[in-house]
Amino acid sequence: MEIQVAIIILLVAVIIAELAIYLIATILQLFKINAGLAVVLPVVGGIIVKTAPVNPVVDDINRNLVITRDALENLMLKKGGADAAGLVESLFPGEGAKFLRRVNRSGKVVNVGTVYTRGVGILASLGRGAPIGAAHTKGSAIRDAQYSTSEVSKLYPAPPDRRDPTRQIPKAPIIGKDPVHSPYEPVLTSGTRNRDAQGNRIDAPPPTPPAAPSAPTGGAAPPAAPAAPAQLGRLSGKGLRPWER
Amino acid sequence: MADAALWIMVIILAVVVLLLMQLLKRVLAAATSIPPKIDAIAGVAVAANKDLEAVALLLTTQGYVASIKGSVLDYGGSLNAALPDY
Repeated sequence: MEIQVAIIILLVAVIIAELAIYLIATILQLFKINAGLAVVLPVVGGIIVKTAPVNPVVDDINRNLVITRDALENLMLKKGGADAAGLVESLFPGEGAKFLRRVNRSGKVVNVGTVYTRGVGILASLGRGAPIGAAHTKGSAIRDAQYSTSEVSKLYPAPPDRRDPTRQIPKAPIIGKDPVHSPYEPVLTSGTRNRDAQGNRIDAPPPTPPAAPSAPTGGAAPPAAPAAPAQLGRLSGKGLRPWER
Repeated sequence: MADAALWIMVIILAVVVLLLMQLLKRVLAAATSIPPKIDAIAGVAVAANKDLEAVALLLTTQGYVASIKGSVLDYGGSLNAALPDY
């Protein structure tokens, strides 16, 4: 036999062995894949079964929520009028413009919560017709911190019967340093003032050292605690506590 | 002449051996890489299946939302009658 024939036979044998080794290994891996898919497929089927009723349920929930939202928005539009979008904007920033688009309205959304506090804005829109939205959102607030009471009196002037000087209706009590008709009870302990009238910080006074005993008694009993006041002061504006009556 | 033909056949068979080895190696590598991925998918699927047990609560939510809608509509009707229009 020639050498070429021997080599050819050897190469064919190598090819057959190579095919056998690699194909057997591949078949083993395919068995593993089959076993894994047998585990996965029932679980995926369970997922499909469980998610099947989700769509109609979620659609129903969404439909009910949209109906509720539309009802509330229509009520807001009917009662709030031009300020409705501003009220929505004050509660949910960024939603005022969407609200206007949903109700087929147009215009500038003024955040009423920026100009007025939420409660004042609602009360003013329901009551005296205060200028809600009179200022731009980015502008300065209408309320003046220094003359806020004057601004309020402009918005809510006193009724005519209170403006009559002949009736001599007493004014509201003025709370000062020593008010004559103070609605508050006197304090039991003196407070500390951290800033003066100009707003400058006042240095805290040094703590007073405890009083030294007058004479060493040498093992005597400690001094007695100060006696409790005969009548306790009121701690609230609602009156005496039940056990003090 | 016959010798030359045999040598050519030897060379061709040698090349075939090399090519076949490369191809079978790649097939085996691809088949080997699949089982770990299937195991990972099985773990995720089991966890997802467990998480989806809460889907039944959507039915409760559906009932709540329907009742809330009814309450809001009733309350809105009362507000509509009680508050003045703008």
